[in-house]
Amino acid sequence: MGRRFNLYLFLLMVPGVAFFAAFFLLPLARLALSSAEGPQGFKVYLLSLTHPRYFTTLLNTLLLSIAVTLATLVISGFSGVFLTRNQFLGKNFVLSMLTFPLAFPGVVVGFMIILLVGRQGLIGDVTRWLVGEKLVLAYSLTGLFLGYLYFSIPRVIITLMAAAEKIDPRLEEAARSLGASPFRVVKDVLIPALVPGLISSGAICFATSMGAFGTAFTLATDIDVLPIVIYTEFTLLANITTAAALSIVLGLITWIALSIARSISGTTVAAAG
Amino acid sequence: MKKKSKLFYIQLSLTLLVCAFLIVPVVLSVTAGLTANYIVGVRSGLTLQWFGKVWELYRDTIFRSIMIGLVCLGCTLMLGIPAAYAMVKKQNRFTRIFEELLVTPLAIPGLATALALIVSYGRFTDFRKSWLFILVGHVVFTLPFMVRSVIAVMNSANTTQYEEGAASLGAGFWHRFFHIVIPIAMPGILAGSLMVFTLSIGEFNLTWMLHTPTTKTLPVGLADSYASMRLEIGSAYTIAFFIMIIPLLIAMQWVAKPPRKKVIPEKTELSTDLRRTTEMEKNALERNPIPRDRGREPVSGTSLRLENCSKTFPDGTQALKPFSLSVKAGETVVILGPSGCGKTTMLRIIAGLETPDPPGRVFFGDEDVTELPIEKRNVGMVFQSYALFPNMNVAENIAYGLKVRGLGAAERERRVSEMLEMMKITELRNRRVDQLSGGQKQRVALARAIAVRPRLLLMDEPLTALDAKLRDVLRAEIDSLLRSLGITAIYVTHDQAEAMALGDRIVVMEIARVSQVGTPREIYFKPQNRFVADFIGTLNRVTGRVEGKGLIVPGGTIPLEGISHLQPKAGEEFEVFFRPEQAEVVGPGEGHFKATVAASFFMGDHTRLLLDWTDASYLTIEAKSNQVFRKGDLVEIRIDPASLLTLRT
Repeated sequence: MGRRFNLYLFLLMVPGVAFFAAFFLLPLARLALSSAEGPQGFKVYLLSLTHPRYFTTLLNTLLLSIAVTLATLVISGFSGVFLTRNQFLGKNFVLSMLTFPLAFPGVVVGFMIILLVGRQGLIGDVTRWLVGEKLVLAYSLTGLFLGYLYFSIPRVIITLMAAAEKIDPRLEEAARSLGASPFRVVKDVLIPALVPGLISSGAICFATSMGAFGTAFTLATDIDVLPIVIYTEFTLLANITTAAALSIVLGLITWIALSIARSISGTTVAAAG
Repeated sequence: MKKKSKLFYIQLSLTLLVCAFLIVPVVLSVTAGLTANYIVGVRSGLTLQWFGKVWELYRDTIFRSIMIGLVCLGCTLMLGIPAAYAMVKKQNRFTRIFEELLVTPLAIPGLATALALIVSYGRFTDFRKSWLFILVGHVVFTLPFMVRSVIAVMNSANTTQYEEGAASLGAGFWHRFFHIVIPIAMPGILAGSLMVFTLSIGEFNLTWMLHTPTTKTLPVGLADSYASMRLEIGSAYTIAFFIMIIPLLIAMQWVAKPPRKKVIPEKTELSTDLRRTTEMEKNALERNPIPRDRGREPVSGTSLRLENCSKTFPDGTQALKPFSLSVKAGETVVILGPSGCGKTTMLRIIAGLETPDPPGRVFFGDEDVTELPIEKRNVGMVFQSYALFPNMNVAENIAYGLKVRGLGAAERERRVSEMLEMMKITELRNRRVDQLSGGQKQRVALARAIAVRPRLLLMDEPLTALDAKLRDVLRAEIDSLLRSLGITAIYVTHDQAEAMALGDRIVVMEIARVSQVGTPREIYFKPQNRFVADFIGTLNRVTGRVEGKGLIVPGGTIPLEGISHLQPKAGEEFEVFFRPEQAEVVGPGEGHFKATVAASFFMGDHTRLLLDWTDASYLTIEAKSNQVFRKGDLVEIRIDPASLLTLRT
């Protein structure tokens, strides 16, 4: 287990490290540099953040992501704990229904939202029949909110179910034996035990919503969220420096969110999608 | 059936609502893709024409996605598994930084990664226009999933024990990597592979930026079809996508489920025949423990010499102070000590899993093996956790060392059968390892170690994980096996009974140092210090004042003429020790001193008495079992003067 062993281990590392450096680390560094290649230099960051359009966009994206995260955590928390704790007829069916959308890319999610609340969507038909007016939500921030919810709920439910399964049911029984009401049991036992799972899955949900592109792209290209703006700047306006600067800002935000979650919950978390 | 609470129904309806939210659009898309007119609905009739259109317009995107997914999978396997292994094995600053960096593609939106790739490599037009450009993006994005999945399994399966097991059988680095590490990490590799393939098939954020009109993938095609505003075609295409991912999802769930372990009960563990022989052997051993019957076959082991071996770990703790030891060929030496005393470190130095600090040397016979790694030392090793390779069955485990040594199939077959017969486990030949009980695993581990005809057999607490009864039986079996093979053996244990029963000699270890080396009799009857005496058996300690040739103790006088090497001075405070069985309860006037019975325990073959002595201590005495004692009885005790011990602390 001496020097030879270390040499072999080094040899095993080389291809992975080389590939990763060549196609991720260096390009990213290059991107950071090229954001400053424009006439404004590094001021481009300041300009892009203070520019009213970009600033509103950033704010929009942040608020939307936070709203999606909170809604997802509440809904998935209720359902996830419920599904781990109760047996009922058709539970396995419900479970497989909940996990089926796990592998949907953002574009498919966008299409699902169009089918649900789009111009020819189901909800529109139902509301027209009920109140005589078509309810169309898909092509706005509300549609995006629903789309991200659709995207996030399955992932978060899976994580929270795994976390809830690890909680010793005897903890709850102990709390109840000490006279705690169901509400207190949830507040004092269940939620504290779920906190690491809530933090890590919440961070994933937030980061994914910040960076998701496919859903917004499918729903409409004129919703002002950061990924769409980056895309338009780059492809339609050929404004490479601004696009680079904005994507660096976006990358930093998601990376910081995930790092904070990681340092709090102690596990590695990753964005999906 | 208990009544469901209100909360239950609230949660149930919420869950069903979520379910509907997720599934209703899926159902809508399926009906839209299969009906002739989406607006009219199913009444317009079912049709497959939209699939035809999808096939016509988008089939190239489907094939391209599958191709990119497969090539991407191949790349992540080749790049990811070796890197994951190196990161698990070598935890230094470099690997930790790399591990940190490796998760960043997951945190950074695909859009940013794609832009970075375009900015850096976009000017290589041929590359930019080919599907390889998309492939690179997918590999960067999916590599972390593969690496993390493999690392997780390698960590939880603790591959180190299996690698050490394989190394002890002579397998070199690459052999271990391909035949032990990869098969054991297979669940992680499989899960990672499914993940990578699924992600690559569905990847859109990166791909949309990286694709060109001639390199469209499935999600890009989907986006196109949705943008074309023909809901039916978009739906049909989506159905095609569902059909592709459903098997992947099912496979993922199947992989994630832990395999159901089925241990076949210990019917074969102890055939009555075997039990009889081992019981007989055990009885025979107990009646006539030393000297034992020497081997039937000629001695096949080598002698062992350790010179000034010590071990200091990188953090500065000294696990072992310098010591020397020689072991004769065919001898069984037991290293005995409490946990954490360094006995396993000593065994690992002998095995070649650790190197002693310079200038320590290890010799097998006359050969200096200090620099040889374990796989070159030709030793057999039995681990406490057995370290049977889970990816091989019983016969394959036993044959592994022979295979590494390049023995032909026929010879291997012969040797395996011989071993199975010797260990009386012939019927287990084709069992999987997780179908074995603890005792059976131990037998297989022994067979595997002996099959290679090692120069030295090393055993690290091989019986600790077994229950008491099985331990006795296997101990007797190991003993007769060692005798009959005449193999040189080093046996590590914390169980003194095991040490006494098996060892020709015992090395008693205190924290990081050797306390005494000697035969079981020497260790028991002539312990050299308090630690050894306390560790082995029960010892009574008596203090008193010396007067003439006796020691004045509460209740009488103990004669000191048996202690020849020391000359206690009159009036001096003096301390002597004796074992419970070296004192007896005698009739009035025959004893050396009197004491009161504090408690008595009937043990069957004798009665153990606790006698009140001083305020804080008792004496333990073994009395004959036909005598009956009650608490408070005054008894007279006589000690065999020749057996009194004086000890260094």
